[in-house]
Amino acid sequence: MTGEIKKNTSTLPRFSPGTDIIEKEDGFHIYIDMPGVAREDLVIDLNENDLEIRAKAIYPRKEGVSNIHLEFGDCEYARSFTISDVVDRENIKAGLKDGVLEMFLPKAEKAKPRKIEIQAG
Amino acid sequence: MVIDFSSFYNLPRQLDRFFDEAWRPSMISQRRNAYPPVNISEDKAAIYVYSEIPGVDIKDVEITLSDGSLVIKGNRKHGTGSYYRQERPTGLFQRVVNLNVPIAADKVEARMKNGVLEVVIPKADEAIPKKISIKAE
Repeated sequence: MTGEIKKNTSTLPRFSPGTDIIEKEDGFHIYIDMPGVAREDLVIDLNENDLEIRAKAIYPRKEGVSNIHLEFGDCEYARSFTISDVVDRENIKAGLKDGVLEMFLPKAEKAKPRKIEIQAG
Repeated sequence: MVIDFSSFYNLPRQLDRFFDEAWRPSMISQRRNAYPPVNISEDKAAIYVYSEIPGVDIKDVEITLSDGSLVIKGNRKHGTGSYYRQERPTGLFQRVVNLNVPIAADKVEARMKNGVLEVVIPKADEAIPKKISIKAE
């Protein structure tokens, strides 16, 4: 899990981004705050049960400006989740909008309750 | 279930977190408790204010200039369903940035990209330093 994530090779500080996990009827929705991340700087890996998300936020710099007060800066986001068998891995969807990564993990058909027919013997 | 059990069961992760907190870069102000975080910089002509407000629609952000300060106000809505984990701040937020120089209020520009708000506040003409040429006699 996170312990296996390589210590970053660059000098950027690494953060664990704020995450919401919501269960709805159709599946699980994950929202991850990633301000400043462009689509091409985002990597999502699914390796068996581990879902690993990493991203880089590089803020545009202006020439000849003096910084007065800073509360955030360039950074790397990394976070990983363990996924259970309930999730239908083939149909995981992800989208990045306004600095939030939204993922949808649908429940697998077999995890939904169903009736079992009893055969006459 | 899909939950990440990490915060309860995964000690390496806990340690990672601890060190993440402890080794925040020194250039970044330690006061991260105010939401949303704000960066302020300036050059001769303008003041630049950046703020991280991911997931907030541009319509839900209100920027007002009043009395020498810039106010960023907004509302972060949250979804419905059963929460396994909630770490993202929600609700109303407000941040006030004091501007100590006269500004050209009608030329302020604001835009949002990838969840980062950028406000460019041009300084008023009288605040921009001017060179005075000396004539030889």
